Amino acid sequence: MIEYLLLTFGEVIMIFGALGILRFPDVYTRLHAATKCDTGGAMTILMALAIIANAPTLIKLKFLVLAFLIALINPMVSHAIARGAYKYGIKPKVVVDMYAWDNP
Amino acid sequence: MHFYLKERLEDIRRRVLYEQYKTQRIPTWEKILLTWIVLFLFWLIVSGNSHPANLITGAVITLIISSFMRDMLTKDIRPKGSIFQKALYFLLIYTPQLAIIMMFRILESSIKVARNVILMDINPGIVKIKTDLNSDTGITVLANSITLTPGTLTLDVKKKLGETYLYVHWIDVETLNREKAGEKIKGDIEEWLKRIFW
Repeated sequence: MIEYLLLTFGEVIMIFGALGILRFPDVYTRLHAATKCDTGGAMTILMALAIIANAPTLIKLKFLVLAFLIALINPMVSHAIARGAYKYGIKPKVVVDMYAWDNP
Repeated sequence: MHFYLKERLEDIRRRVLYEQYKTQRIPTWEKILLTWIVLFLFWLIVSGNSHPANLITGAVITLIISSFMRDMLTKDIRPKGSIFQKALYFLLIYTPQLAIIMMFRILESSIKVARNVILMDINPGIVKIKTDLNSDTGITVLANSITLTPGTLTLDVKKKLGETYLYVHWIDVETLNREKAGEKIKGDIEEWLKRIFW
């Protein structure tokens, strides 16, 4: 029962992440949607698959390795994209920008 | 004059930290053993069968690799207790604790972003916070956890005068005070990381 709950939750979160990429105003807020919703959705789907899969434990643990790698790599990539966009010169739509104060 | 004294003080503080780091380093064989345990577990899970030939091949290859990659994982760990204590702490307490904390935070943050997508009540800003961690591994783990906690995204790291600052894109700015913002963004994860990393 819990595996279908996790699967449904992950897919709903992924749909909201895709919607967020379309609706948010600029690069940085869109990265919020991409990073968090994709990590949460992919991790819950992988956990549901690890419960569903009809296999020995040693093979089920591979799903956890995949979830760990996703949780490790996804924030790093989003950080690299955000920093690259800022260095390229895309101005964020923000109320306060302390990064521009220190790098005029 | 005033600035000269301040610079000297910074210099002395940095040297004291470095000397502490030098004297409390982990011995070489412990480094090799810790790296070997991690690599061998990874080999066991990824290869996925438990024949003796496979296990012996994996043990030899991971021992060779860990003997010359020993500094990558264990450079920034605070030494505490004996080697078995350390290995047990890492395998049974620290890693599951971090995994459980981060799992609930990821779920919370995805629900919050979904709510932001529906209601569009965003008020974004980039704030600057200070952290007490010094080592590269600790700062990396802290920045990754900040990205995965609700509503924040790490933009850049800067080291200045022996102190480390993080620039954080916050989707709903509540305060501009540096201490209050740091408390709100970092939460308890920094105290937790300071027990393990330099």
